[in-house]
Amino acid sequence: MSATTGRRVAIVGVGYSDVGRNTGRSERHHAAQAAVRALDDAGLEAADVDGASTWGGDAIDFAHMLGMGPLSWHLNVSVSPAFITPAVHAVMAVATGACETAMAFRLMMQQPSSAQLSSGAAQLGAPSVVDANFLYPFGNFSPTQWAGLLMNRYLHESDATEEHFAEFASIQREYATRNPDALQTDPLTPAEFLEKPYITKPLRILDCDYPCDSGAAVIFTTEERARDLKAPVVLVEAQSLSAISDMNFELLPDMVHTSPAHCSEQLWARTDLGPDDIDTAHLYDGFSVITFQWLEALGLCDPGQAGPFIAAGNTKQDGSVPLNTDGGAVNVGRRHGANFCIEATRQLRGECGDRQVDGAEVSVWANAVGPFSGAMLLRKG
Amino acid sequence: MSPLGPPRPMADPITDFFWEAASRRELHIQRCQSCGTFIHLPRPICRSCHSFDLAGEPVSGRGTLYSFSETHKAFHPFFVDRVPYLIAVVDLVEQPGLRLHTNLVGIDEPDVRFGMEVEVDFEALDAELTIPVFRPAGAAA
Repeated sequence: MSATTGRRVAIVGVGYSDVGRNTGRSERHHAAQAAVRALDDAGLEAADVDGASTWGGDAIDFAHMLGMGPLSWHLNVSVSPAFITPAVHAVMAVATGACETAMAFRLMMQQPSSAQLSSGAAQLGAPSVVDANFLYPFGNFSPTQWAGLLMNRYLHESDATEEHFAEFASIQREYATRNPDALQTDPLTPAEFLEKPYITKPLRILDCDYPCDSGAAVIFTTEERARDLKAPVVLVEAQSLSAISDMNFELLPDMVHTSPAHCSEQLWARTDLGPDDIDTAHLYDGFSVITFQWLEALGLCDPGQAGPFIAAGNTKQDGSVPLNTDGGAVNVGRRHGANFCIEATRQLRGECGDRQVDGAEVSVWANAVGPFSGAMLLRKG
Repeated sequence: MSPLGPPRPMADPITDFFWEAASRRELHIQRCQSCGTFIHLPRPICRSCHSFDLAGEPVSGRGTLYSFSETHKAFHPFFVDRVPYLIAVVDLVEQPGLRLHTNLVGIDEPDVRFGMEVEVDFEALDAELTIPVFRPAGAAA
């Protein structure tokens, strides 16, 4: 990585499990499917992998199951900015020489619905930290509720409107119609979006990612080794992790300028590239307002202008910043950040078929919002 | 009302003071006894001076509304008959950035304004649990 010590790192293999709703397959099964597809994509054998990280399940368990090893490096992460955490640490492990080839996983099994929770058919786990004492008695249980607070404050401070969020959803769905991996592929008009019910006003159901069972795996190795493998080389140019406060999204000091602002500043300080160099952007849409925050934080549009910027068509395939070209997690399902890494990689390899952005050479992908976040800049090798 | 009752705070030596005060219809916030900094959510140490000498103290219950959102879906049986309801984030007047998560009552969602002045009130969810909620300042309960 430029502006970072250590060996230059490349992405050489990506893979998904058979992602779907209530698949009936275990977390291990999803991990195994994703891993063998990533290995096949890279042209590597399991024994070539000597490092593993995951959020979801246990990297050591997955490695043993797949016949990897011995591992020179491993990491199990928990609450952190989605897939980018095991990914960023895998890059660091390869860059420092802790291992030669690392596989980063994200496993995400479908969460109970509000219907299951409100009927008592499913229950939330007992609060693991006493901070939940200050949420549950007030009827605050779901991430959609902090997202509603963030989105409402964002609408208040920015030039965005609910209609801009409808445009965003419609444009993302348009990409999804061109993605064989997408779960939601029927065209969606802005008017249809606005007819959907509120969950936590102003947040509607299609402002949320789509719950599913998913597994994803990405293989990182040195640039030198990547040059000998079959896929076009995709290099990690720079990366950044940020944490600005504890996990209480409801109490963030500034709900509009959260950790992506700090994370982006740090990312751009670590490269000679800048926002104008971005050919495709892949910005977390666990809730749509997160994508709006990232567009502004990364400097891809002016502060407070993500709504008008999207409505003007800038994020479409022929726009100035093609965005979430796989359709985003609202359409490909909650792969919890891994889809942004994998789609960016496929764009830089030129593998995206009808949704390919011509001449894509530099891509950014980013995860999470609020207390913590991460971003990674990739370029064609 | 659900036979399950409301979700109850876990007993905890650092946060029990908050609920005991609420049961008496008082709002108390943790305060550093060394440097006077208010701390919310409660923690075992003062972020400003690293003192461990902390205690709940009464506050005025006056504040301004930072953000709000109307919950339309229930995520727990107790709230099935209560939707839609407003969750809110209030900045207390005692200290810049002293922020509290709560419910906003006594006002319809379209009438709510960012930055509006609010004051604490108390709602008994059942015989055992009373929570501090906020309503527009000066509005009769």
